[in-house]
Amino acid sequence: MAAAATCGTGAGSTASMASEASKSNVTSFQRRGPRASGTDSGGTRLVSIAGTRPSVRNGQLLVSTGLPALDQLLGRILTVIFFFFTEEDKYNIYSPLLFKYFLAEGIISGHTLLIASAKEDPADILQELPAPLLDDNCKKELDKDVYNHKTPESNVKMKIAWRYQLSPKMEIGPVSPSRFGHYYDASKRIPQELIEASKWHGFFLPEKISSPLKVEPCSLTHGYLKLLQFIQNIIYEEGFDGSNPQKKQKNILRIGIQNLGSPLWGDDVCCTETCDNSHSLTKFLYLLRGLLRTSLSACIITMPTHLIQNKAIIARVTNLSDTVVGLESFIGSERETNPLYKDYHGLIHIRQIPRLNNLICDESDVKDLAFKLKRKLFTIEVREFLCFSLQS
Amino acid sequence: MNAPPLSPGGGGQWALTPSGGARGETGHKSEMLDSLLGLGGLMLLRDSVEWEGRSLLKALIKKCALSGGQVHILGCEVSEEEFREGFDSDINNRLVYRDFFRDPLNWSKTGEALPGGPLGALTAMCKRTDPGPVTIAVDSLSWLLLHLPCTTLCQTLHALSRQDSCPGDSFPVGQVRVLGLLHEELHSPGPVGALSSLAQTEVTLGGTMGQASAHILCRRPRQRPTHQTQWFCILPDFSLDLQEGPPVESQAHPDPHTPPVDPMTHLTFNLHLSKKEREARDNLTLPFQFSSEKQQALLRPGLGQATSHIFYEPDAYDDLDQEDPDDDLDI
Repeated sequence: MAAAATCGTGAGSTASMASEASKSNVTSFQRRGPRASGTDSGGTRLVSIAGTRPSVRNGQLLVSTGLPALDQLLGRILTVIFFFFTEEDKYNIYSPLLFKYFLAEGIISGHTLLIASAKEDPADILQELPAPLLDDNCKKELDKDVYNHKTPESNVKMKIAWRYQLSPKMEIGPVSPSRFGHYYDASKRIPQELIEASKWHGFFLPEKISSPLKVEPCSLTHGYLKLLQFIQNIIYEEGFDGSNPQKKQKNILRIGIQNLGSPLWGDDVCCTETCDNSHSLTKFLYLLRGLLRTSLSACIITMPTHLIQNKAIIARVTNLSDTVVGLESFIGSERETNPLYKDYHGLIHIRQIPRLNNLICDESDVKDLAFKLKRKLFTIEVREFLCFSLQS
Repeated sequence: MNAPPLSPGGGGQWALTPSGGARGETGHKSEMLDSLLGLGGLMLLRDSVEWEGRSLLKALIKKCALSGGQVHILGCEVSEEEFREGFDSDINNRLVYRDFFRDPLNWSKTGEALPGGPLGALTAMCKRTDPGPVTIAVDSLSWLLLHLPCTTLCQTLHALSRQDSCPGDSFPVGQVRVLGLLHEELHSPGPVGALSSLAQTEVTLGGTMGQASAHILCRRPRQRPTHQTQWFCILPDFSLDLQEGPPVESQAHPDPHTPPVDPMTHLTFNLHLSKKEREARDNLTLPFQFSSEKQQALLRPGLGQATSHIFYEPDAYDDLDQEDPDDDLDI
């Protein structure tokens, strides 16, 4: 059954079925519940939310991560439920960037933001969001970058391995004529008026917790409990879960939680292998997923998995989330000087793709991905190998 | 304990890993300390039994005290007399020392000790209101880690180091410095990793052949981290003397100018093509390539080309009927 997230009315039929029924009059399926005006009644209710697109596969709503390349990689099934990010970036440089892209996409699309952090003030995070690239500048920037990058060898037709010439290439430019996903300039800040026009809520843990000395032995860490209550309040008050339906137009809540699992949240999963509240993190994610499934929201979480000592927890966290992406940067490792990797700043590992209302997931064909932060754009590309790669 | 100075006033040499910046300046003794202290926030001094870090901590404290500003010290591991040894009197007068070595649990109840123990002292420092740069030296973080939960310590240190980033104040960021001494060997990688992810600067002490080195990792916000290795020694009056590293150290770094090893040199087969061979290879028609000649050959079987024959040997059970079974179909 489609999740309740899609239809606030709670009608029994899925959105796709409803649209089919309205388009072709030969079927005898009748839609229960009030029929809104217009021919495709199921469709208008979903499409009316800005920045989203209904998926034809599983009747869910799609939102963009803020990086069209990443949207493509995830098979364009970034649904409005849960989105999880692993932060394996040891020096914490690239994953905050992706975090900010997600939030900036929310501002541009007019979604409500909820930013939670134990390390930085959410207002400061908001100030550092990247500026969007406008349409006319965007094409120029992309063309310039693509031109600089193209080497003569890539134009040579392959003689022996001619079948691979048709292998899918990653497209860098805008993929669809409709504006689903925007490009951002990482070197510029978002204009102040966009921030002021947007609606956002911040959760900064040191302000919410009175004294750090209090250590409560409950099953859920104090910080996580407060955060869950905060999110639940926002969802209820602003009507993201379908309560107060007549009040306002439906909107998406984009939640961003930074550095979950680090000791600053009061969780010692990074400090010891056998910690006292070993289930605190997994419980939190489970409860959060329940909250998100019953509301129109998408969530991004960054987590310092390289600090987590117990690998079983990482496996559990991966299973609890819909999408898991790992970033491995080359800074400080021996790969930085390796000539194979000289064009890139790091590798991207797609560890999990959502499987909502499906039995199998739609995996992308390319698995060997690297990213680089070109002057302004964050691009993801297939890593091109040399045939003889003997490491010295 | 400390190696005798080889060449006082000699030049310092920066030996860099590739991700660091390149600076060829020499002769500035205080430059290392300045660069370490300039970043502010939490500085982690990771030492070990072989290469102790308390003398470097005291050198940093001396530098901070001389440059003005308050210096608070949380002494937990050694006695106050031992810690103050080696400082001259005007520096000693500037240090505010909180002693938790003599009576860590406040059993004597003299009323002098601060309530809440060392954590209470740190928390009280979070709430300070007087302006000006402040340096807080913790000797040592290992002692605190063994007595407090790691999360509490991390949260308190984070609250301390971000105290000055309030936008309303006019103080620049970096007014609060926390210097923490951490004995790496005492802890599992978990707490060490947690603390190092909080630190803005990390100094790992090591060395070879009697010479101490400091591997410095600076994390500036939103910039790439820089690595540097600096050879030094500490003089008896806790001033720092930079030194050149031992000669064998320079060979440890890969020379970026040597050409990469050609992988095709010692093979038993030949991978190189001569010009003639290359031309012959280019002229070769590959079997699956569908060129126009092949297309013509297939469409029009030429004279020399034999059409295909089928050789069939009938079995005993085969019914050889030459009639076409589809003849009676009426389409």
